Amino acid sequence: MPLRFVASLLLVSLGASLGWGAADSKLMVALLPKSKGNAYFISCKAGSERAARDLGVELLFDGPVDSNAAKQNEIVENWITLGVDVIAVAAENREGISTALRKARSQGIQVVTFDADAMPDARSFFVNQATPQGIGEALMDEAARLCGGEGEFAIICATLTAGNQREWQREIERRRQDRYPGMKLVGVRPCDDLKDRAQSEATALMSAHPKLRLIMAICSPAVPGAAEAVKQAGKKGAVRVVGLGLPNENRRYVKEGVTDTVILWKTEDLGYLTVQAAVALARGELKPGASSFKAGSLGEFRVEGDNILLGKPFLFTRENIDQFDF
Amino acid sequence: MDAESTRVSTPTVARASTWRRWLLRYEVLLLAVLVVEWLLFYHFGTTTNRRGVTVGFGTLDRQFDILRHSCEIGLLALALTPVILTGGIDLSVGSLLGLCAVVFGGLTHVLGLPLPVAAVVTLLVGAAAGGINAGLICQLRLPPLIVTLGTYSLFRGLAEAFTRGSVTYSDFPASFLTLGQGRWAGIPVQAWVFLIVAVGVWVWVHRTFSGRAFRVIGFSPEGARYAGVGVRGQLTAAYVAAGVIAALAALVYSSRLGQAKADAGLGYELFAITAVVLGGTSIFGGRGTVTGTLLGVAAIAVLKNGLATLPVVMRMNAAEELAGLLTGALLLAALAAGKLAERWRRSSAG
Repeated sequence: MPLRFVASLLLVSLGASLGWGAADSKLMVALLPKSKGNAYFISCKAGSERAARDLGVELLFDGPVDSNAAKQNEIVENWITLGVDVIAVAAENREGISTALRKARSQGIQVVTFDADAMPDARSFFVNQATPQGIGEALMDEAARLCGGEGEFAIICATLTAGNQREWQREIERRRQDRYPGMKLVGVRPCDDLKDRAQSEATALMSAHPKLRLIMAICSPAVPGAAEAVKQAGKKGAVRVVGLGLPNENRRYVKEGVTDTVILWKTEDLGYLTVQAAVALARGELKPGASSFKAGSLGEFRVEGDNILLGKPFLFTRENIDQFDF
Repeated sequence: MDAESTRVSTPTVARASTWRRWLLRYEVLLLAVLVVEWLLFYHFGTTTNRRGVTVGFGTLDRQFDILRHSCEIGLLALALTPVILTGGIDLSVGSLLGLCAVVFGGLTHVLGLPLPVAAVVTLLVGAAAGGINAGLICQLRLPPLIVTLGTYSLFRGLAEAFTRGSVTYSDFPASFLTLGQGRWAGIPVQAWVFLIVAVGVWVWVHRTFSGRAFRVIGFSPEGARYAGVGVRGQLTAAYVAAGVIAALAALVYSSRLGQAKADAGLGYELFAITAVVLGGTSIFGGRGTVTGTLLGVAAIAVLKNGLATLPVVMRMNAAEELAGLLTGALLLAALAAGKLAERWRRSSAG
């Protein structure tokens, strides 16, 4: 029967190419970003691949093409079926993903989160890329350094009510009182996470406060927005710009010298640390209650409760910004 | 079960030919595809992990995952089957799922309504939305494609406006989460919901006057009118039912994920239409079966969830993309094979 022959041929070739029993003895780590096409997570991936090589483990990196909570859950359930050893997740939705993560844990799979946490009972550790204190201090220190410790500055935030923004502002203010009494905060303006709005707010701040020395943008669209305003007003150098944002969005302004410093963290290190922590957890080397954790070539990291801290934010400046692409 | 499956008029035709014609029926071909898919995944997708536990496709959990992952799209496909039988289309069901999800979230979280009340109101919203589609299609005689293309944007836009695109309702009570995460008699709760809806739609399409009316309208709306079929009434029923089932799918979705957000069900209408068409329903109306739709849903669900259990596919980190690609290939191959089989069947009968 030719049909049977074709069918068996097909089966044999499929079997050969699929490699039945392909699950070898290597530890399998699965990393789930919010969206896999995002440059931020692509650079996380580079770091996680480096960690997987260092540790000799197998790494899966998959996620929704767009940020989609439903797909994240399905991918975690696929990994549960596949029987991976440890799952690391950047949660799109805290509660939504936790259902799937709890199911994974109930089946003996270890779970850590990174970048965006899930519910605490759904994972063992959260690899925390930045604490409010770390962000606030880095911003204020850099602002004071650029202004020589005195002068007027203003903040452009996303909204006046958002929790994280309020927390960062509290930390900025505390640092200012502690270290830089000569710095004077003259205004806090919201931009609703819109670049255009940030630009017009920056323009308004500059005309209302002629002695303004620096604009601190604490949401990512506000950094290029403020820079554009300063550039158009011809105040490059007179009014400095620092902020929290991604290197790619700000590269042009940083190279032109309009924006002095963009503050974030090294996303590669975040990916590296996450995989190191995930593997240590799966191997039983990292246990709840640990106070520090050694992550391969990056050295020691502090652990506070169930948060593994990536540490101080990183400053992207004219000198180093070209080494980063995200 | 299929009204237009023609009886063998001359019993003198050889038995073998009847048998062969049955084998070449589209649903039977599709069932064969499904069985082959399942066996392949069972064989290649079941492994033992490092801890010595059997994992993969061959586990009961995975079979239940398939049911849970495909329930909402399956419901939408059931909703679309009568609509497509009438020669219409409803592109708005995915958006309506999103709208109903946030309506339900708003009713429970903002207004604090009790769950059963909120669920009923959500189903009514679904019915009303289906009514809008039906009204525009029947009263103004606008083409269903255009009307539901409009409401496709409208419903999603309402959902986004309602939540400003950013609010996510979560923290649903455990009693509600049972619908999407719990089991009843060992089987996921939503599988029972799906079963009930499937039986209901099957009876409606294959055992009632409405079902015959849908086909007649699909073949020829004018002819149906002359034959005394209440075209408006039947069409309205089909679109309103689609709205209600989409709302039900929204409840299942919100419960499965424990969250209601404006992006719920994004793109689901196309998956559902794919399943219906793969199931052998003619996009021009008049021909099709609910059994076919169920097989279409199952073939896609098994393919998608089966691929994700193959270690080699997992290592590609692109199970989702590969599933999309193969679903498209499966649809085209199945339709082509169906066409060829039909020719063969005709020639063997003639």
